[in-house]
Amino acid sequence: MIRSGDTALYWRAQRERNRGLLGLFAVVAAFLALYAYLFPGLLTVAGISKFAQSWLPLALVAMAQAILMLTGGISLAIGATVSLGAVIAATTMTGYLGVAGGVVAVSAAGLAIGALCGVIAIRLRLPAIIVTLAAAFIIAGLALLILPRPGGAIPGWFSDLLAGNTPAALFILIFIALLWKLYLATPLGLSLYAAGENPVGAYRAGVPVDAARIAAYAISGLLSTLAGLFIAAQTGSGDPVIGQAFTLNSIAAAVLGGVGFLGGRGTMRGAIAGSLLLSVMINVMFFLGFSPVAQYVAQGLIIIGAVALPQITARFRRTR
Amino acid sequence: MKAAVSALCIGLFTCIGLVSEASAAAKCIKGDRKAPYTIGWANIYSVPTWMKQTEGTIAAEVEELKKKGLVDKLVITDAQGDANVQIQQIQSMIDADVDAIILIAGSSTAPARVVADACAKGIAVINFDSLVDTDEVTAKINTDSNEWGDTAAKWLIDQLGGKGKILVLNGPAGISVSDDRRKGANAALAANPGIEILAETNTAYNVAPAQEAVTSLLFAHPQIDGILSLGGALSAGAILAMDKQGRPMVPITGENARQFLELWKDKDLKSWATMQPNWLGALATYTAVQALEGKDVPAFVKVPLPIIDNSTIDSYLARAKDFPADGYIYSPYDQKLFDELLAAK
Repeated sequence: MIRSGDTALYWRAQRERNRGLLGLFAVVAAFLALYAYLFPGLLTVAGISKFAQSWLPLALVAMAQAILMLTGGISLAIGATVSLGAVIAATTMTGYLGVAGGVVAVSAAGLAIGALCGVIAIRLRLPAIIVTLAAAFIIAGLALLILPRPGGAIPGWFSDLLAGNTPAALFILIFIALLWKLYLATPLGLSLYAAGENPVGAYRAGVPVDAARIAAYAISGLLSTLAGLFIAAQTGSGDPVIGQAFTLNSIAAAVLGGVGFLGGRGTMRGAIAGSLLLSVMINVMFFLGFSPVAQYVAQGLIIIGAVALPQITARFRRTR
Repeated sequence: MKAAVSALCIGLFTCIGLVSEASAAAKCIKGDRKAPYTIGWANIYSVPTWMKQTEGTIAAEVEELKKKGLVDKLVITDAQGDANVQIQQIQSMIDADVDAIILIAGSSTAPARVVADACAKGIAVINFDSLVDTDEVTAKINTDSNEWGDTAAKWLIDQLGGKGKILVLNGPAGISVSDDRRKGANAALAANPGIEILAETNTAYNVAPAQEAVTSLLFAHPQIDGILSLGGALSAGAILAMDKQGRPMVPITGENARQFLELWKDKDLKSWATMQPNWLGALATYTAVQALEGKDVPAFVKVPLPIIDNSTIDSYLARAKDFPADGYIYSPYDQKLFDELLAAK
């Protein structure tokens, strides 16, 4: 916990972390305003609900990737883990395990797979990129073993609860963001940034570097399978390859949100904003009537622009 | 003059629409939408040549329908291969209240709920080629992938006299089309124990990965008597791989990929091919408008598999220059064919 005497330090750290994010927040706000202008239906409960549903899975994987990148790690297995979460949900929930059993199974699988990757990468001192690449093949294979082709089912009421005309997705995201805040206040959470920014120094200072990193992998796995669970609920069924695109998109969202590759740099709010930008971009381009080719180009330009913006403002600030 | 004619056309079509509306309307159609219509083309991936050709047939059909005053706008989305993005884009089409959505699904299960939402809003949904597991659509249009695998396997077994060692080349794992084609071959293979499957591959429907996969299989298997390929680019890749290693050509099945058909002629092969005609896209567009005009269209339009063999290949290659080098030479189509297909129940 932060003692009262540390409040000034806390806010200084927050200010440091927010630096460079203000540009992104402005861009995201502008896109949301433009979207609401182009599609006024967005500002209804149903509109917000539907948009939050399409955004939530990406937000979850962005968080899953960001937590690893904060510790100096990375995962190429996020997409496969999402697929695994979706097929476990779609094969268990209508069986004797029921919805509650399915949620437990999905969560347990995510935590276990994440922790295992973490232990292998951290304890054996292997590069995360290699470990998770290999894990991606194994996990994708597992998903195909469980469900060789799209199928399975999610109980209708559960789908309606999570992805009907209620803003459940938005509440879930807010809830998870709050949990993240709480986690950062625990000893393991506190160690995250230290373990990522200066692992040797942190270790000498008595920070449980390895434990913090392995916990990050486990949480990352959990967030990924939960994203899969949500997709299964949203679509009413499971697809063993549905998560594929999430690996790259999770990295894109995290980087867009100012999370650095080398660890210790970035914030979860940035990663979530990054995922929001990637998601709202798709809708805005549709309503602007962009052709598919123009969409490819525009998407690339927006991403480069949003990443470059903090650099440009930082340079501007220095020369001033 | 022209305006008067098209006004008359619109009038006529509306009349026909109103008359048949009373009898029976297709699923998802509520009868509250009037021409000219806005059509949404929810594409999963626009980059492959196959998709560009499909989009070409859709655009051409839309031009025809525009002339008749039935369609005024075609909006196109590209999910870049991401089934989740496709759901989001279909949702945007619903939000923008398009009159019809034509769809190639990136996942056979994922878009089911959003498609049902569209149907409930009275949007005509025509799903073709890659189908969604839901009945909440106006119509599905497809060839029969099981029949594809079955006919291909039977042809190959016949060529080998019921005895020989073969390779099986499949599309990507976890995709229902590729799974269905492979499953369709099962019965024939089981009935002919003399056929030994040396190895199977799963690759994307692309020449390069197929060539790479077959190259390594060739090193492992000195004797191969035939290849059961369940995709056109896969066949082309296999032939290129064998050619590079100087292996004798064997009977091979395939699909109407121009590259494969040209290699077939070039290497003087004994082959067989079928196709998923690109004009399914045009047919889907036509069907959507027919349904919106109040016509009762069949819930499933089964398009027969056109067959290419050594007796008909020349007629396809004669038209080759009209198709992209890495594209598909599809069979000819016109509105008469479409009406026949829609009339068949």
